Amino acid sequence: MNPAPRKLHIPVEHTTLANGLRVVASPDRSAPVVTVGVYYQIGFRLEPHGRSGFAHLFEHMMFQGSENAGKMEHIRLVNSSGGLLNGTTNYDITNYFEAVPSNALERVLWLEADRMRALKVDDENLRNQRDVVKEEVRVNVMNQPYGGFPWLDLPPVAFRNWPNAHNFYGDFADLDAATLADVQSFFRTYYAPNNAVLLMLGDFDPAEAFSLAKRYFEDIPAGALPPRADVTEPPQTEERRGVVDEKLGPLPAIAIGYTLPPRETPDWYAAAILERVLHGGRAGRVFRKLVLEEQIAVDADGSADVFDTNGPTQMVTRIFHKPEFTSEGTVAVYDEIIEELQQKGIAPEELDPVKVKFRSDYYSMLEGGMGSYMPRFGLMHYLACFTLFDGDPNRVNTILDGFLAVTPEQVQSVAKKYLVPRNRAVLVRRPVNLGGAQ
Amino acid sequence: MTTPAPSISHRSTPPALSPERPVEWPKRTVRTLPNGLQVVLAESRTFPKISAQLYFRSGNAVVALRAPGLAEMTATVVRTGTTSRPSRQIEEDLRRMGAGLGTSSGADSSAISASGLAEFSAEILALIADLARNASFPENEFERERRQRFEELKIERTTPGFLANERLRKVLFGLHPYAIISPTEEQVASYRREQLEEFYHQRYVPSDALLIVVGDFSTGAMLEQIEKVFGDWKAPKPATPESPAPPRQSGRRVHLVHMPGTVQTQVLLGNLAITRRDPDWYRTVLANSIYGGAFHSRLVINIREQKGYTYSPRSGISALRQLGFFTVHAAVRNDVAAATLTEMFYEMDRMRSLPVTPEELDSARSYLTGVFSLGVATQDGLLGQLSTVYLDQLPESYLETYREKIRALTADDVVAAARRHFDSANAQIVLVGDRAQIGEQAALFGPVTEYDAQGNVAAFGPGDTRA
Repeated sequence: MNPAPRKLHIPVEHTTLANGLRVVASPDRSAPVVTVGVYYQIGFRLEPHGRSGFAHLFEHMMFQGSENAGKMEHIRLVNSSGGLLNGTTNYDITNYFEAVPSNALERVLWLEADRMRALKVDDENLRNQRDVVKEEVRVNVMNQPYGGFPWLDLPPVAFRNWPNAHNFYGDFADLDAATLADVQSFFRTYYAPNNAVLLMLGDFDPAEAFSLAKRYFEDIPAGALPPRADVTEPPQTEERRGVVDEKLGPLPAIAIGYTLPPRETPDWYAAAILERVLHGGRAGRVFRKLVLEEQIAVDADGSADVFDTNGPTQMVTRIFHKPEFTSEGTVAVYDEIIEELQQKGIAPEELDPVKVKFRSDYYSMLEGGMGSYMPRFGLMHYLACFTLFDGDPNRVNTILDGFLAVTPEQVQSVAKKYLVPRNRAVLVRRPVNLGGAQ
Repeated sequence: MTTPAPSISHRSTPPALSPERPVEWPKRTVRTLPNGLQVVLAESRTFPKISAQLYFRSGNAVVALRAPGLAEMTATVVRTGTTSRPSRQIEEDLRRMGAGLGTSSGADSSAISASGLAEFSAEILALIADLARNASFPENEFERERRQRFEELKIERTTPGFLANERLRKVLFGLHPYAIISPTEEQVASYRREQLEEFYHQRYVPSDALLIVVGDFSTGAMLEQIEKVFGDWKAPKPATPESPAPPRQSGRRVHLVHMPGTVQTQVLLGNLAITRRDPDWYRTVLANSIYGGAFHSRLVINIREQKGYTYSPRSGISALRQLGFFTVHAAVRNDVAAATLTEMFYEMDRMRSLPVTPEELDSARSYLTGVFSLGVATQDGLLGQLSTVYLDQLPESYLETYREKIRALTADDVVAAARRHFDSANAQIVLVGDRAQIGEQAALFGPVTEYDAQGNVAAFGPGDTRA
C-alpha cells in the first residue's frame, strides 16, 4: 500500500508598491539561502521591428553597469557574496536572478533596484556585448549540429505576425545596427517598475523582506507603458511547411508544431495533458511508435511552453529519423498516431498515470528547474508568470487542479479540434551530408 | 512623520552583508548491509518527492582496453527489460509512479537512478532493485539500442565540443583507459550480448555498490524497505584491473581537429592534475575559481568582458577516481584563436608568478563557500554532493568541513597550487576548426598534429618531430 499523496502548499505573500512594482515572497527557512528574481514583461516577441535579437542583446547590457554599480560590479558583488546570477530572454519576459546565502538578500535587492532605476552603459560596452552575443549565437546555433532546432526554425514557418515569426537570436546585421540610443530607449520603455515583478524566495522574514523591497524599489518612478502590441495571428487555413539545411548533423530532423489553445481556457488544460500523452520520454505514444515499434526514428519527443508564454505558442514534436527513411514517410507514420488518438480516444488506464507524472514533474520544476544549483528557480519562474500573465501568484497552489481534472473525453476532443493540418507547421532540417558519409 | 526620508546615500553604496545564518548540514544515515551494499539516506521534506541513485563502482574504464563503451551500452540495455517486466511495462510503471529513470555509465561507475513521488517510494525502490538484479537483456532491444548508438556516434563527430574533449583526453591519458570517452562504430558493432551480461553479472553487485536516497521519507521505514528488496542479494566483489600510466608531456603541442567551413574555433587546453583525495585539492579549486572557474574570474573578465572574443570561457579541474586533469576552454571567432591562447597562457602564468590580491582571495573564498551551501539546498544538489563524498570515499566530514578548509587558504596556497597544477609550459592545446582559418595561428604555439573528425591523423606540421 502506498501512503496517500501529500498535498503541497507553497506559502505566497504579495503586494504592489506605489510605483506599480509587484512584489512576491515565498518564505522557506529550511536552508540559509535566498533566490531573488526580477521579471520584466518584455521578451523577444515584442522587440522593435527591424531589430531582431535586440531584447536578448539588451539583456546582456543589463550586466554592463548601472548608476552606482559599474561594469563587472553586479557580477563581482554577487559572486563575492557567495552567489550565482544570470538572466534569460524569453518570448514574453526577460528575467534577472540571483541565488545567494541569505545574508546577502539586502545587497542583491540593492543591485536589482540600481539597475531598474538607471542603466549606465556606453558604446564600448555595447560593442563588447555585441561581439559576445555573436559568439553565443555561433556556439549555440551556427557551429552546433541541430543548433537552434527547432526554436529558431519553426516560428518563421508557423506564424505570420512578425512578433511571433522573426529570428529571436537576431540577424547579425540587425545586431550591428543597434545603437546606444536604442538601448536607452528600450530601457525607458519597458524596464519600468510597473512592468515588472520582484520575487524573493527562501530564508527570510516576509515582513522584513517586504520592507527592504519598499526601501530600495518604491521611489523608482513608474513609466508610461506603451499599449500592448497586437501579437495575434491571422487565421490559418492550411498546413505550413518549411525546409532548412542542416550543415553539420547527419540525420534528418523534423519539428511538428500545433498552435495551443489560449492560456487558462479549458482546452488549454486538456492540450497540456494531451501533449504529455504524446511525449514524455519512452512511455509517450510518439516515442513508442516511432522509436520502439517502427524503429524509424532514433529519438522522438516533444514539449510545450505551457506556463511561461503569453501569446501564440506551439506544442512541438521533435523527431530525428534514420537516413534510410524519408521525412514524408516519417510524418505519415506520425499522423497515424494522431489519427488513432482522434478516433479511439484514450483509456483512463493510460490517462491517469500521465496526470500522476504531470504532478510529479510540476513539483520537480518548482524545486529546481535550472539544474540543481539554483534553489527554487522553477517556483520563482512560475510565480512570476502567474503574476504577470494571470495577475495572481497564488495560482501556483491551484493551477495543478485544472490539469488533474482533465477527462479522456476532453483529451479526445482537443485532439480532434487542434491536431489538424490547418493548425500545424512542419519543419524539416535536411542534412547536407545525409547519413554522415565520410 | 518620524520615518526619515530615504536618503541618497542608501542608494550609492552597496549594503554590507548581514550576519550569516549557520548552515545546518543535512543529517545522513549511513549503513552497510551484510552483503556489502552501502546505504546513505538524507531526509529532505520540502517537496513530496524522493530521488534514489544506485551506483556500482565499475564503469567504462575497466573495459576500455578490450571493449570501449561496453559499460555504457550495458547500462542502456539494463532499462529495456527484466525477467518479470518487459520494456513497455517498465516505462508504464514509471509513469504510474510519477517517476523518471536514468541508467548510465561513466569512466568509473555505473548508475541506476530514479526520482518520483514520495507516495510511491517503495515501488520505486523495488523497480531499481529489479533492474539491478534481474535485467534480461532482450536481444531485440539490444540490437535496437546498438543501431541508435551508431547514429549518436555520427552526431558526436559533428559536435566541436565533443571532438575537442575526445582529442584532449587521448593526448593527456595515452594508454590509460581514461583516454577513451566514446567508442568507434566498429567497436560498438563488435559488442556481443553475452559481453553485456557478463559485465552486468560481474560488476552490478552489492559488495561494490552504493545506494543514496534523498527526499521525503522517514529513515527507519526507508531502511526496512531497502533491506527487503536488496538484503538477500549476494555476489562477490570484482577485481579492478591495473591501468597503464599516462604519458609525461614535455613542451606545448597543438592538436588541430580539422572541420572544414566552421564559423568558430573551439579552443581547449589542459594538463594532468589531481584527484579529490590529493592534499592540494582545495587550494587548486580556489586557484581555479580565481583563474577561470567563475563568472567573476580573470579569464572571463579578460577574454569576454574586455575583449569580446567569446561567450562562455571557463576553466575547470576534473577529478576522476584515479587521476584528474585541468582544462581551459572557449569557443571563439576564428581570427582570434591565437589571441585567445595568448591570453589563456598569460593569465595562467600570472597566477603562477604573482600573488592574488587580498580582495580576490576573499571574494573567491566567499564564492566557493556560498555556492557550496546553495548546492545542498535542493534534493538533486544534495544527492550530487553525497555521491561525490561516498562514491569517491572521501572523509565523512567532507560537507561539514569544506567551508572551513576553503576559508583557511591563503594567497601563498593559490600560487603554490597554480605552479603545480596549471602546467603552462607543457599544456596540450586542442583546436577544433577550419585549418585554412586557424592553421597558421596554431603553429605559433608548438608543433601541430592535424586530425580529421574521425580521429585519424591527417598531417604533421613542420615542427612535429614525429612526422
